[in-house]
Amino acid sequence: MADIHLNCKGLQCPGPIMQVFKAAKEAVVGDVIHVKVTDRGFTKDIQAWCKKTGHELLELVDGDTEIQAKILRK
Amino acid sequence: MGRKVLVIGAVAAGTKTAAKMKRENPKAEVVVVTKDEYISYAGCGLPYYIGGVIEEKKELVVKTPEDFKLLTGIDVFTKHEAVGVDKALKRVDVKDLSTGEMKHYTYDDLVIATGASPFVPPIEGRDLKGVFPVRTVNDAQAIRELVDQGAVKKAVVIGGGFIGLEVAENLHEKGIEVAIVELVPHILPPFDEEMALYAQNYMVDQGVRIYTSEKVLSLTGEADNVRKVITDQREIEADLVIMSVGVRPNNQLAKEIGLALGPTGAIRVNEYMETSEKNIYAVGDCAENVNLITGQPAWYPMGSTANKMGRIAGINLAKGEKDSLKGVLGTTIVKLFKLNAGKTGLSERDAVKAGFEVETALVPANDRAHYYPGYREIITKLIVDKASHKILGAQVVGEGVVDKPIDIIATAITFGAKVEDLEKLDLAYAPPFSMAMSSTILAANVLSNKLTGRVKGIGPIEMRNRAKELQIIDVRDEGSFMIGTIPGAVNIPSGELYMRAEELDKNKETVLVCKIGKNAYLAYLKLKELGFEQLRILEGGMNAYPFERE
Repeated sequence: MADIHLNCKGLQCPGPIMQVFKAAKEAVVGDVIHVKVTDRGFTKDIQAWCKKTGHELLELVDGDTEIQAKILRK
Repeated sequence: MGRKVLVIGAVAAGTKTAAKMKRENPKAEVVVVTKDEYISYAGCGLPYYIGGVIEEKKELVVKTPEDFKLLTGIDVFTKHEAVGVDKALKRVDVKDLSTGEMKHYTYDDLVIATGASPFVPPIEGRDLKGVFPVRTVNDAQAIRELVDQGAVKKAVVIGGGFIGLEVAENLHEKGIEVAIVELVPHILPPFDEEMALYAQNYMVDQGVRIYTSEKVLSLTGEADNVRKVITDQREIEADLVIMSVGVRPNNQLAKEIGLALGPTGAIRVNEYMETSEKNIYAVGDCAENVNLITGQPAWYPMGSTANKMGRIAGINLAKGEKDSLKGVLGTTIVKLFKLNAGKTGLSERDAVKAGFEVETALVPANDRAHYYPGYREIITKLIVDKASHKILGAQVVGEGVVDKPIDIIATAITFGAKVEDLEKLDLAYAPPFSMAMSSTILAANVLSNKLTGRVKGIGPIEMRNRAKELQIIDVRDEGSFMIGTIPGAVNIPSGELYMRAEELDKNKETVLVCKIGKNAYLAYLKLKELGFEQLRILEGGMNAYPFERE
């Protein structure tokens, strides 16, 4: 089980979801994806995405200048 | 001996007129009467006083009558209500509300600054305890006391205009369950639907319930206290009801004097703030404005406009060189939680109503460089006259800096700018302040692309209404598509477009969808090259699409 770190700050279009999507494809069950993002739409997107894909959103920190999320690959 | 000026009303416009007149002509005798207890108070600050953002009442009151007298030499009589005017004698009958005594004041010039009052619809139960308008310091204080006592668990705000929304936010921040009921199909009635719905979705996300296209029929209570709001759709529990369906000009006294009213019901004034009667002026919320774009009468009861009218009247009362106010744009702005929404000039709806053939653009962009921490997205809707390319109006919403673009565009409209002028403005740029191509310039670029036929767009409303009959291609990545797209859209990421173009029906009207509109435009150009003719892009992309996704 690995920790995968993604820096998606500054990414907008295609946005961070594309990176998370790719990482999740390559990851194995039990891996945790850590992602840092500045695109504000990400907070809603990642929740919706986890719901659709079944991966677990372990943590979502919505800071003023940066959003951080931890996603467990299921 | 100087002239004698009597001003009726002492909030923004009345005090401004009096102070300016006295500065221009120190020999003049200026007297102000008001039926209110307070003068010169910040009416626009009342929602924030309710929520405790503004801690104390005294912070709202810009000046006391004593301060004002000391500063300006002008006597202000509070709790003095003007009840009649004898134009022949140039005399105003004033009732001292503290003693009941009738007093008489004579004038050479009279200024009516009687303001506006909340319109309280004549519904059953409006006299119950716990039902308030939000217009005066006393209204706000009464509401705040109830809130601070913990007596309010559930509140209903009737009317989704600025004040109603601001009060809703402040009550929600106090931990009160808030519902808003709005008669028309969306909150922020002056905004165009897609922009208003964006703000509405945001408010709902914050936890405020919103019922639109819904009519309040009555209020019911127990032991004189309000308990329920009955609408044509449902019953909503409430122990506080805010009546904020709008304001009306206080024109009663003007009517009695025989002053001409305009079509809006406010007192008609010319550009010098003169009414139809010699030696009588009107300023502020009780007086009518002219819309600078249409040249037609309009009514903008705004503190910003009231102060300008007051200054003009003050100058002209001094009988020196005249100054004038030709009109205003109705520029407004509101903060809703962290969302800001601003508007200037005509909405698309108003522009069409005024007879313009319009072109519009809907463009999400950032308020600062996308790599600078803390930037936010803002969405600009720009409206221009198709024939002259002159800018008619704009609306900007988003969590970011909205006042700057709105003010830039308000300035541009005032000076008669065309969209091409807006595109070339040399605006301040460094990453913490703006994008290299600012959001306003970007919106102007898109509009210009539409005017020149480089691209054709479809707005969110038409998109929703016609989705079934269109071929909709979402060109975003698979992950984004998966989260939510326009119902019926198929996913062909832009990178695969050339390869997969044969999957598409060339003869069908096709809409390209992306996140903000830019990749859809690039895809548009690709497909055009491949011979597609009936192409459009979803303007503003998914980010500005306020309707249901799938």
